[in-house]
Amino acid sequence: MNFPILTFITFIPLVGAVLLIFIHRDKEDLLRYISLGIVLVAFVFSLFLYFSFNAETPEPQFVEKKPWLAYGIEYHLGIDGISLFLVLLTTFLMPIILLSSWRYIRKRVKEYLILMLILETGIIGVFVSLNLFLFYVFWEAMLIPMYFLIGVWGGKRRIYATLKYVLFTMLGSLLMLVAIFFLHSMYYKAMGVYSLNLFDYYNLILNPGIQIWLFLAFALAFAIKVPLFPFHTWLPDAHVEAPTAGSVILAAVLLKMGVYGFLRFALPLFPDAVMTFLPFLSILCLIGIIYGGLMALVQKDIKSLVAYSSVSHMGLIMLAIFALNVEGVEGAIYQMLNHGLSTGALFLIVGILYERAHTRMIKDFGGVSKQMPVFAAFFLICMLSSVGLPGLNGFIGEILCLFGIFQANKIYAILGVTTVILAAWYLLWMYQRVMQGPITNEKILSFKDMNKREIGYILPIVIMMFWMGIYPNTFLRKMDSSVTHLLNKIKERGIIFTKAQKDKDVVLKIEHKTEKKNTEKEEQFR
Amino acid sequence: MNSFFALFPLLIIVFAALLVLILEVFLKKENKNYLAYISLAFLITCFVVCIKFWNRGYSYFNGNLILDNLSLFLISILILATGFVFLLSMKYISLQNTNYGEFYALLLLALSGVIIMVSSKDLLVIFLGLEVLSISSYALAGLRRDDQKSSEAAIKYFLLGSFATAFLVFGLALLYGSSHSTDISTIIQYFQSEQSLTLMALFGLGMVIIAFGFKIAFVPFHMWTPDVYQGAPTPITAFFSVVPKAAGFTILLRIFLFYWDIALDSQAIFWLLWVISALTMVVGNLLALRQTNLKRILAYSSIAHAGYLLVAILARDNSSLVFYLTVYLFMNMGAFAAVIALSKKDKEYLELEDYAGIGFRYPWIGVTFSIFLLSLAGFPPTGGFLAKFFVFSAAVRQGLVPLVIIAVLASLISVFYYMRIIVYMYMKEPSYNIEITVDNPALFLVLFLCLYGVLQLGLYPGNILLLIKQAVSSIPLL
Repeated sequence: MNFPILTFITFIPLVGAVLLIFIHRDKEDLLRYISLGIVLVAFVFSLFLYFSFNAETPEPQFVEKKPWLAYGIEYHLGIDGISLFLVLLTTFLMPIILLSSWRYIRKRVKEYLILMLILETGIIGVFVSLNLFLFYVFWEAMLIPMYFLIGVWGGKRRIYATLKYVLFTMLGSLLMLVAIFFLHSMYYKAMGVYSLNLFDYYNLILNPGIQIWLFLAFALAFAIKVPLFPFHTWLPDAHVEAPTAGSVILAAVLLKMGVYGFLRFALPLFPDAVMTFLPFLSILCLIGIIYGGLMALVQKDIKSLVAYSSVSHMGLIMLAIFALNVEGVEGAIYQMLNHGLSTGALFLIVGILYERAHTRMIKDFGGVSKQMPVFAAFFLICMLSSVGLPGLNGFIGEILCLFGIFQANKIYAILGVTTVILAAWYLLWMYQRVMQGPITNEKILSFKDMNKREIGYILPIVIMMFWMGIYPNTFLRKMDSSVTHLLNKIKERGIIFTKAQKDKDVVLKIEHKTEKKNTEKEEQFR
Repeated sequence: MNSFFALFPLLIIVFAALLVLILEVFLKKENKNYLAYISLAFLITCFVVCIKFWNRGYSYFNGNLILDNLSLFLISILILATGFVFLLSMKYISLQNTNYGEFYALLLLALSGVIIMVSSKDLLVIFLGLEVLSISSYALAGLRRDDQKSSEAAIKYFLLGSFATAFLVFGLALLYGSSHSTDISTIIQYFQSEQSLTLMALFGLGMVIIAFGFKIAFVPFHMWTPDVYQGAPTPITAFFSVVPKAAGFTILLRIFLFYWDIALDSQAIFWLLWVISALTMVVGNLLALRQTNLKRILAYSSIAHAGYLLVAILARDNSSLVFYLTVYLFMNMGAFAAVIALSKKDKEYLELEDYAGIGFRYPWIGVTFSIFLLSLAGFPPTGGFLAKFFVFSAAVRQGLVPLVIIAVLASLISVFYYMRIIVYMYMKEPSYNIEITVDNPALFLVLFLCLYGVLQLGLYPGNILLLIKQAVSSIPLL
């Protein structure tokens, strides 16, 4: 196939952003329709990706590879069963996000839409890049629109929140950059050519002592993004201060970039270091699960409640990945999509409430369901999806994650289950206080139920929730071979080095694992 | 090849300077812009000459003045920078009442000094060029003679600059005493021979580094920078922040091109530069955090960038050094252009408070300034990121991992203060609105060209990388 479809999907929003620059800022509706059209085009084309995706092979598909700059920097795109769904999640949510802020964003509409489109390019770029340079460019470039989205359209403490977000993320990613340089130079010393191609690095076998440092640098960058427990402090601030659309995009997609980073880079590149840090990281996840859940219980602001619930849920996802088995990793990827949908939907729900009440404090609400019955139904479904009710998407993801974790370590699984219990507790309790009981505040009497636009953008999410809950095979079977391949790679490479290590005790040992060398080595060790 | 042609670029610039100085007498005050047009015409001619001379390798005065590709590339860069300064000054000098005829002539003379510096490999000739540059610079810094700050800047620059010159001459004497030559390659070759290596020579080399450290503004020789940058007229500040730095780094490049490979005891100098580099990055960025004056912020930022550039010297990667200088020219000129844009008759807006809300009031200035700041901070996909990428990856290849970690943490600090300017431009509600003169096409041309440069160099530098490779490899082996 000659049509560069990944390039098209990645850059069509950017082209749209450039187009918007030339439209007068007073034509707000025109601007909105054009940007909506562009993100819909991106979505339609990404559907094409799904249908023509070959689930049999773990190799990256729709690959585009062109030389770009010196030093092994190439323009190299491709997707496999893992990134496919993250791209789809992004393109699916983008129109919804634009619709949700259709009337809410009133000042500086033009800048807002331009930044949204640039942001979409950045996010998709992160998921489709196979060259470390390109990946890093998108990873960092994506920060800039987010920085503006929170900083310009955010709440009262927006400047603090946005600077904290940018500086936290930069801290991690700059150290990751140094690790990339280090990999780059080791590859050069070992092979005599420059490369930043991810697949070339997959074939490097590094000394475990070096792996530990490199893994720490990569893991820090991704752990801040996920966020894992001690690095999560930017998240509640950013969520509470961001506008609804910003929160949705942050929770639904940006957090997934951290998990994706672990899956794509940190785990397969440094398998030995992963084994070393596995218990430590799992405990961090567990702390995150319980701490996030308990913090969510005591929040007074609905939005920060949902934000802390994210910390708890992302902890479970990471824990499932660290189980390093097929159930766990597939469950984690599935749960990423679920979390994207359900938390995204919850932020949208909070946004709808906020547009009416101009407050997000739980105590200001009560008995809203009497005034807004349709809204109450949607709220209930989204909330239950986040809790993990059977029949809805959250259940499948959580049960798979827990299966995987249980196989790896029973104690982790028992502790990990608390996320479900805590989620049921804080979400149901919040729902009860906000929606049920007598109407406590006369302002609520003037609330109008959801309008067509609002139903229009929540409905697709709800349909997806049922679909993913009832027939998960649509999604799971596409990722099987990629996930199996990934796990094999991690395990197999770990074994090779442990064997090699016994034999040689070199400080820095880099072997290139071509087919030939590999078989030789296998024989040697037998 | 020994040929009189080697003098051409220099002669063109000097001729232009003298011509402008004479013509100035005959022109009325409101026609002074013609001087800028004439100078620009000469600059363009000189630029074309440099392109024509590419790969010719002319030299004159027994090889004391050489136009190898490296000097040609740098001369072109410096001409570009000076051209930008001219475009920025045209409106500025009439708005800010610095409309003196010497302005353009002094700039051209300073440029001629720099041309001498970058196209010689004899330290004594370099010293001559440095003096021509310095003396014109002192005068330029004090050009606003009614302004106390400007006079203070001139005096400070003059005093500390004289010290630097004294250091240079002293170091030169020591080097001459030990190696019997002032030619860089002979001096470096001297460091190869074991028997005669003395402390005196090392000390001399240290002195020379210190002298250029003053010009480039390494910590701890940076004290003059913020005051001079603040006091000098803003286009001149832009000139100071790019041109002398580029020249200084060219000299360092010529000195250290082979030094690391052949010098027997390179450790002392290596660690000296290592510490200076780390200090420059960290201190420059930390001090910038507390500034509220835009010119001072950019002054400290330029100090920090000198530190990153020094990493390239330590990493022995000369092409990434030259690439960084090229990118730095565009992003820094662009940033200063945006600062100059925010001015009106007899008033410049330089405090952070003045910037509140201008991002939306003047969208083009806001967007371009933000891109320059992001580039200075090293965000992709701008040239600033690619430059840092090349320099730091080369440094890691040389095993300078701790230095690179310091460098990236320092640039994390820098993100904060660059972002702070953007915060003011876009996220603070203004308590008062500033009025600016927008009728300034030359300035917008500079903004546009710099924007183009920053993005082109960040996304697809292609041929520039190739040219730089040719330039760096053109230096004759020892």
